[in-house]
Amino acid sequence: MKELQELARKLLSDGTVNVVIGYEEGPRGARPAFITDPKQADKLIFDTRCVQNLATYLNPRRKQITQLGKAAVVVKGCDARAVAGLIRENQIERANVVIIAMQCSGVLQNPEIDSELTSETVSVRCGGCDVCEPKLYDHYLKLAHTPLQSSPEPPINTQRAEQIAALEKMTPAERWNFWSEHLSRCIRCHACREACPMCFCVQCTAEKSQPLWIDPSATPRANRAWQTMRVLHQAGRCVDCLECERACPEHIPLGLLARYVADAVDRRFEYKACDDSSVPAPLGVYRTDDDEEFIR
Amino acid sequence: VTNRFLSHADLAALIAELVAANTRVIAPVRAKDDPEQLDYLPIHSFEEATFGVRLTRRSLKEFFLPPSEVLLRYRQTKDGVEIQEVATEMPPQVILTATPCDAAGLEIVDKVMNWDYRDESWFGRRKATTIVSFLCTTMDATCFCSSVGLGPDTSRGSDLLLVLVEGGYLAQVITPKGEALLQGHGEAEIPASAQAGAEAAQSEARKKVELNLSAIPASFSTWLAKNFDHPAWKTLALRCHGCGACASVCPTCHCFDIVDEHDSCSEGVRRRNWDSCQTTKFTVHASGHNPRASQSERFRQRIEHKFSIYPTRFGEILCTGCGRCSRICPGGMDLPKLVGELIALAQAGPEGSSL
Repeated sequence: MKELQELARKLLSDGTVNVVIGYEEGPRGARPAFITDPKQADKLIFDTRCVQNLATYLNPRRKQITQLGKAAVVVKGCDARAVAGLIRENQIERANVVIIAMQCSGVLQNPEIDSELTSETVSVRCGGCDVCEPKLYDHYLKLAHTPLQSSPEPPINTQRAEQIAALEKMTPAERWNFWSEHLSRCIRCHACREACPMCFCVQCTAEKSQPLWIDPSATPRANRAWQTMRVLHQAGRCVDCLECERACPEHIPLGLLARYVADAVDRRFEYKACDDSSVPAPLGVYRTDDDEEFIR
Repeated sequence: VTNRFLSHADLAALIAELVAANTRVIAPVRAKDDPEQLDYLPIHSFEEATFGVRLTRRSLKEFFLPPSEVLLRYRQTKDGVEIQEVATEMPPQVILTATPCDAAGLEIVDKVMNWDYRDESWFGRRKATTIVSFLCTTMDATCFCSSVGLGPDTSRGSDLLLVLVEGGYLAQVITPKGEALLQGHGEAEIPASAQAGAEAAQSEARKKVELNLSAIPASFSTWLAKNFDHPAWKTLALRCHGCGACASVCPTCHCFDIVDEHDSCSEGVRRRNWDSCQTTKFTVHASGHNPRASQSERFRQRIEHKFSIYPTRFGEILCTGCGRCSRICPGGMDLPKLVGELIALAQAGPEGSSL
């Protein structure tokens, strides 16, 4: 923690950046912090309650942040994939952001309760994590509290894998009913989109009115159309940070939906959202050797 | 109006009677996706209701102003357009063991719904609904109902207020509608211990929430109106994503958008859908110009509307202090703390001496 605070202080004092986006103590666990004054750097923390993906504040739609000037951002390995995504898709320039990557051994599913990190308490998205050691960074800070641990892997959590397996086992009709039931609760507030680091379109298809692609009202048909469109647009782009799920006032398992599609992309295109911005994502590339067998 | 004493069996019998009469009964129940959480949902027996445990995730708003609602249907004919209006007279429904602040929120919103236009759909549902509140004892550090002039035992908006006492409930009758609901149920004679127990519980509940945030001074509204350009607005909402989840769970946010959706070339429906001033497109002009360009301006609007514009126009704060906005916020915005900070700024400034 001291190391992080000192680094932030230095970056702000020597004018490298105007703001350090990190975590601070919040009313219900840790929360995003925006440090512009080096004297405030002591506020910064990093622990298992730091669930938010701060890369979402680099999204150019966060004008209140871009107005502050050049930013340094504290990321976990998983969040670094969103930074890479924004670079890959030309939303930010690599040279314009200072990445402070933290070694991470998992975060809590419920950060409001500061509990020991175990298989029961670890976030569903940490199961099978392969980015505990981030590769995309300017500064890399190792965990002080796990110096002897050779690998900082999170506790084993198979919940997500089990949920996916259960979905795979369903017949198409059962799966349709499963999602129809969940999506029937959607109120089309689009909080999922607004909180997402990778939703940066200036004009979303959901708001196109001439022609009207998707009815704006919350009806079963329109909800399915909206969430299907969003998750397909996120295919191979979603970094599984669950910002959408945290923002959803109807508590729809949007993270599960996105993960299901991400797994399909992995199977079909051998691609996972990664922290290397030079690797093109399947949706953003045309290849002449593409199978295209689905089109025949 | 006289209060009544209900045993647990009396309350169960009342619900059974309502259900048998096909009256929709809504109460807090365990959420399907998360048994730790509560949602207001229709129930069929007393056992399904889970109250006195915690605040529900969403307020009662959706039962009066649904997230999406049909206003009318239209059909184009050779002679013009045929309009089919929807009924605004609603079947009776009873909301059971509501949190008192949620009931109060409805009464606060009544004012704008009966301002320059009387919203018949809203009032149709209000008229058809009887609200039985339950003394709130489950407040946490995010609750601040007492600072907006309400309290865990506020009777505003409720027809009955139940307080858990030894052997049952003391039912405080607030309105004739509440009295009518209790007809033939419970006892008019209230055990002395129940009366004393209820008073003690109410006083204890009030004390508990009053610790969180002091009463918001009436002059805060004037300070907000005068300090539209205060530099603090630039930094208060940095962590806000503008997702509007706060508005969805808010018992008093009531903005909506009206759209026409075609079912075919000649037929369609006009619907109104919840909307939120926290999203970018809420104020974007046809020209592309957006007078609220960043989240700083949009968050300021939320605070100004709740704590200055609404109080100026309707004489009360557009907030019940339920704290749901803070609990849902993925960015960790905390309304009671932010309001507290703004009040401190107001009190420190030269214009603040009157606060």
